[in-house]
Amino acid sequence: MEFITVIYLIYTFIAFYFLFLFMLIYFQNKGSFFSYPKPKKDYSLTMIIPCYNEGKTIERTIKSVLNAGYKNLKKIVVVDDCSRDNSYEIIKEFSKKYPQVIAVQTPKNTGCAAGSKNYGVKFADTELIGFSDGDSFVEKGSIGKMVGFFNDEKVGSVTSSVLVHNRNKFIEKLQSVEYKVIKFSRKLLEFVDSIYVTPGPLGIFRKSAFDEIGGFDEKNLTEDIEITWHLQAEGYKVRMSVPARSYTVAPSRIGEWIKQRNRWNMGGLQTIGKYKKIWFKKGMLGNFILPFFVFSWVIGLFGLFVFAYRIIRTIILEFLSTSYSIQTQTAIFRFSDINLTPNVLVFFGITVFVFSLWFTVIALLNMGEEKYKRESFFTVGFYMLFYLIAYPIILIISGYKFLRGYRKW
Amino acid sequence: MLENRKRVFWEALLLTIVVFFFGILIGVAFESTKVSEINNYYAMSEVSLMDVFALNSMLDFNSASCEVLTDSNLNFADKVYDEAVLLEKYESSGKITEEIQLAHRKYDILRTFLWINNIKTLEKCSKEYSTVVYLYEYFPEDLTQKAEQSVWSKILSDLKQEKGNQILLIPIAADSNLVSLNSLIDKFNVTDYPVVIIDEKYLVYDLSSVSDLDKYLN
Repeated sequence: MEFITVIYLIYTFIAFYFLFLFMLIYFQNKGSFFSYPKPKKDYSLTMIIPCYNEGKTIERTIKSVLNAGYKNLKKIVVVDDCSRDNSYEIIKEFSKKYPQVIAVQTPKNTGCAAGSKNYGVKFADTELIGFSDGDSFVEKGSIGKMVGFFNDEKVGSVTSSVLVHNRNKFIEKLQSVEYKVIKFSRKLLEFVDSIYVTPGPLGIFRKSAFDEIGGFDEKNLTEDIEITWHLQAEGYKVRMSVPARSYTVAPSRIGEWIKQRNRWNMGGLQTIGKYKKIWFKKGMLGNFILPFFVFSWVIGLFGLFVFAYRIIRTIILEFLSTSYSIQTQTAIFRFSDINLTPNVLVFFGITVFVFSLWFTVIALLNMGEEKYKRESFFTVGFYMLFYLIAYPIILIISGYKFLRGYRKW
Repeated sequence: MLENRKRVFWEALLLTIVVFFFGILIGVAFESTKVSEINNYYAMSEVSLMDVFALNSMLDFNSASCEVLTDSNLNFADKVYDEAVLLEKYESSGKITEEIQLAHRKYDILRTFLWINNIKTLEKCSKEYSTVVYLYEYFPEDLTQKAEQSVWSKILSDLKQEKGNQILLIPIAADSNLVSLNSLIDKFNVTDYPVVIIDEKYLVYDLSSVSDLDKYLN
């Protein structure tokens, strides 16, 4: 058997494994996918909204939190991180109109969301603290669907369904599909205690647990991943409420998208580095989340190298064949050259694709979302065939930047 | 608690092993159908070759005509060439087992036999056609050689189409590690692959157009 065939078979096995794992988790827990516990008491809550140059969206964000309908919401602390636009003026106007809204400004720009979030926590004295990004909008009723999870005293944080707000441009539509698949997968991971992130658009933390671990790591580019790992390392559980939704503004340009993904990947690498000593320790964090993260990197990068090697080899071969064909006045291409004889790798490839499509369709159908149209078949197909394949390229860029010591937002 | 969580990981692993195992089994079965198809062709070709050999032996006691023998050689070569094209297509589907590779080696022996038989025939009969033996490597060393071989195949296919029964085309993988073939190759002092040997006289190493090759033919 050729080496390349062995590589393909290993990748097929891995793809099958993770698809089956997720599908089994889904079918075993389908009944409780959308459920959330009723809160045993009215937990007091402070919402913190970090803001840096969010003049265009901050008003809507604050309004969405105000209208979220949680009756024991004590304060909304909006932290301006020394924005260069009119964000702080807008926040101050809100604080004049609504006594719940407290406008604060960091003494100097912290350079990261973690800095302003930690700063905002200083103004909170409630049992729970929630966070929402300055460019995200909380759906009405969402907070109430999250707090019940804190009935379990070991729950340190609760995350929500994060979805894309802007779905006009093609790149935004692709991200909308991606966010839905991520949301679906994250809930499945909850059933095996393996949620790896409490994303910024809407997450609620137990204040005592947050204080115990010292808040967000301000050196980390993805403080929402790091804090989730930290909580689990300290024995806390992380839960997800699927019906609680928050809509975020996704990048509309390729450059912004690449920048965002680089930050996510580099933050992921920072987190792996910080927790590298917990392999096979600390429950699911060391037994699954950390190995899964590392494995994803290895598989993604190695797969990309193999793919690139095959593509470059084919291009060189075609170039040489074409040159020789021209030189000898022979046909460059003939229909008889097309070989449609299938092989086992083709069968496996089709099977993996069909299972992946099935998984994606289930993820998209499991939304309960009414205000947006469903994605077109073309968008889903493009997402599966091209968007996902582009991701390992971002991994390389991120890995390179990380090794070069780049750590900026 | 952790044990309960772990159960689904093992279940997924078990399911993956089962599906993967069946997939491999189906793959092996699929490849086997292709191999048995090739083997059927091979068995028929083997019979045809024996027939040609018998005819050749009959020439010694004047029981067969040269015309019949050359026709048989040409027909057999065409048959084996068509089967080689089919075999090449099936080779790309042979990913798990090495049976198709083995079938290729068997065909190389058959084609070597044909070449030897043709040399013998030409010792006894007058030359009615040109012999074009194409020696290539089954496992090319680099991309340049692979590209050259791919273009050579097209050129020789065009040549065969143009010349029909005026040429007897025998493509053989030189790295099949066959003693008989190696001896023949040594006899012609072949130094590199791919090479086209025309009428056991001309060794063409450089890629040439159909019209250039035509100059070597009778």
